[in-house]
Amino acid sequence: MTRLTTTADPADLRAPAATRRRRADGARDGFGAAFVLMLPAIALYALFSLTPILLTIWISFTNSGGFNTEANFVGFDNYLRATEDPIIWPSLGRTFLWLFYHVVLAGGLGLALALAIGRLSRTRVFFRTAFFLPHLVSLAVVGVIWANIYDPFYGLINTALTQWGLAGWAKGWLSDPLLVLFSVNVASSWQGFGLYMLLFIAGLQNIDGTLYEAAEIDGANALQKLWNVTLPGLSEVMTFVLSLAMINGLKGFATVFVMTNGGPFYASEIITTYIYRLAFQAQDHGLAAVLCILMSVLAITITVAFNRWRARKSS
Amino acid sequence: MLRRTLMASAVALAAAGLLAVPTLAEAQTLTVWATDQLADPLVAEVWNKLKADFEAANPGVTVEYMPPTGTISNGAVQAAIQSDAGPDVLLTNSGIGRVTTVVNAKLIAPLTAHYADMGWKDKIFPWLYEILGSQFGGEIYEVPDGIDAIGLWYHKDLFAENGWTIGGSWADFEALLQKIKDKGLEPLAVGPRNNANGGHLMGNFLQAAAGTTVMGEVVTAKKSWSDAEPLLGAQRVVDFAKKGYVSAQMAGLDLEAATRLWTNKRAAIFFGGPWFINNARKNEYPIDNMGFATIPSDLAGESKPTGGIGWSWMIPVSSKQPELAAKWIDYILSDEVMRFRAEHKTGTQISPRAMPELKPAVPVMAEVFAAAANGVGFNPSVYMPGAALDTYFQVIQGLIGGQVSAEDGMAQIQAKIPAL
Repeated sequence: MTRLTTTADPADLRAPAATRRRRADGARDGFGAAFVLMLPAIALYALFSLTPILLTIWISFTNSGGFNTEANFVGFDNYLRATEDPIIWPSLGRTFLWLFYHVVLAGGLGLALALAIGRLSRTRVFFRTAFFLPHLVSLAVVGVIWANIYDPFYGLINTALTQWGLAGWAKGWLSDPLLVLFSVNVASSWQGFGLYMLLFIAGLQNIDGTLYEAAEIDGANALQKLWNVTLPGLSEVMTFVLSLAMINGLKGFATVFVMTNGGPFYASEIITTYIYRLAFQAQDHGLAAVLCILMSVLAITITVAFNRWRARKSS
Repeated sequence: MLRRTLMASAVALAAAGLLAVPTLAEAQTLTVWATDQLADPLVAEVWNKLKADFEAANPGVTVEYMPPTGTISNGAVQAAIQSDAGPDVLLTNSGIGRVTTVVNAKLIAPLTAHYADMGWKDKIFPWLYEILGSQFGGEIYEVPDGIDAIGLWYHKDLFAENGWTIGGSWADFEALLQKIKDKGLEPLAVGPRNNANGGHLMGNFLQAAAGTTVMGEVVTAKKSWSDAEPLLGAQRVVDFAKKGYVSAQMAGLDLEAATRLWTNKRAAIFFGGPWFINNARKNEYPIDNMGFATIPSDLAGESKPTGGIGWSWMIPVSSKQPELAAKWIDYILSDEVMRFRAEHKTGTQISPRAMPELKPAVPVMAEVFAAAANGVGFNPSVYMPGAALDTYFQVIQGLIGGQVSAEDGMAQIQAKIPAL
């Protein structure tokens, strides 16, 4: 077996000098071979991940107005502008709200449906496929579909409410500033919950059935079994789903862009849509890069903090 | 033996190469980002004829239409050019605000030389050439495809049945909208969600309240957006929203949804340019029933449509065929093409130069030409600096939805206007 470590162990120290040299040469050869094998992956990572990250950091210190323009170093000007921009901070607040909605709606619905169909025997495949289907639809298409569902005059929701005599409940789902972010998030979560549901179903299948039998013998009812067996059994999956949902939530863009374009009057503007607007509409790449960095720092902070909290809780 | 074989192969390859070179040089493909409505058979009829005629006049050239994925407004043009996925020549929504964005980013090539050497200067209205020449220190980056004239579209039958007419004073206009509302219809339909249509409504309100001269000063930053005249226009939008003449729910509609509302006759009046005829036709609305009017104004002679350069041709810096692209634009500017497009059933724009004895296939276009005969006012959407455009559109949504007052809204727009 090839050794990838070059750290000497006590056995090396006890061996004769010639043997140690041979082992060290072998380790070096092994490292070289491993490096050559990893080179394509490293090159791709450097080209498509590392370089854009470094370039983004560089752009954040320039007055870049596009890829074809000269970019001059402006120090922390863009960072200062970010603190004074009246759109950024409310957008950041809405980004957190969006994240919360996504975790609750998509994650919650995924869990609820997994629990509902996880123990089915004959129809499970059908329901699993049916519920997963929206995940295969592109977010842009989902946005168009739901924008029509939400149409205040011809949309499915308001038409149904009116026909059921609940016209007072009919709303401007995409025009009411208090509702719009939630409405768009419902569409986005509808597209996203299928993946989480599959993960929860996989988690449910890994729970030992004897635990349920033991709980039944102890006289546990369905709710007690859910609380004391199912949910603890899903804790690992739940952690993974939460992390995934948080990252996906932070990446929210397409449905907002398609359904509201950040409006009305910025009521659904989140950081990602504002970044797009700055970078590709206003060509203000410097400020857009600052927001990209802010988003990355946020994503890293949230994920690390969450994982530490989980590790502390489980220990 | 081997050497001889290799020599023979090399000579054969060289000969094949020499024979192939002229063929390759002649075979050129011009990628064109034109209309996004090629799926419409009538629109396709026009563009396929243009393609066929251009290819016939330029042997060896193949015109390839790329389905446009957007405009400068939504960043698609910028993204396409920057990723080198753009066309050789493109048609997009224009106006100084939008063009400034792509000029500053050095994404489109200057066309000033062609205005001289290809005679484009004489193929557009002199006043249009003057405006274009005054924008970027004398450098011109676009060739107007058509001029917009944005006014009020109404249903001829519905208005005739009810004895409604658009005209008179602002108070008369309000009275009309109240009658329409009492009839259970939405008085005004607008789809500001994807921006431009909100600008059409707002531009008309500003025109009615401030007039052409004042708005000319406002859009050129010689006068503030917070001044009394434009402020009155914004205040009227707020008042109309409060009175239900323009429903707050409209703030969540896009152009298609608002069009649907109008073509289904749930709304009485729609703000749009002559391009709206095609939108209505797509919704199977009887075109003969479309009437066009200008927004009433208390200012003498100011009841006129708003407009400006609606759509322009540009050549991206990434164009592989810049000369051929210029040839295409020259072809589009020819009398033959301009007349063909204007007299076709889909001909719904005002040509960028005088076209005598034009016989539009759509009768209502005659009403549009008549309304624009005394000139058009300013549609701020196409004159607004790029940095302020998004704020302008968001403020319009806010005015309709009741999220921002007229004073705050106009102050926010003014704050984004770069000082001259």
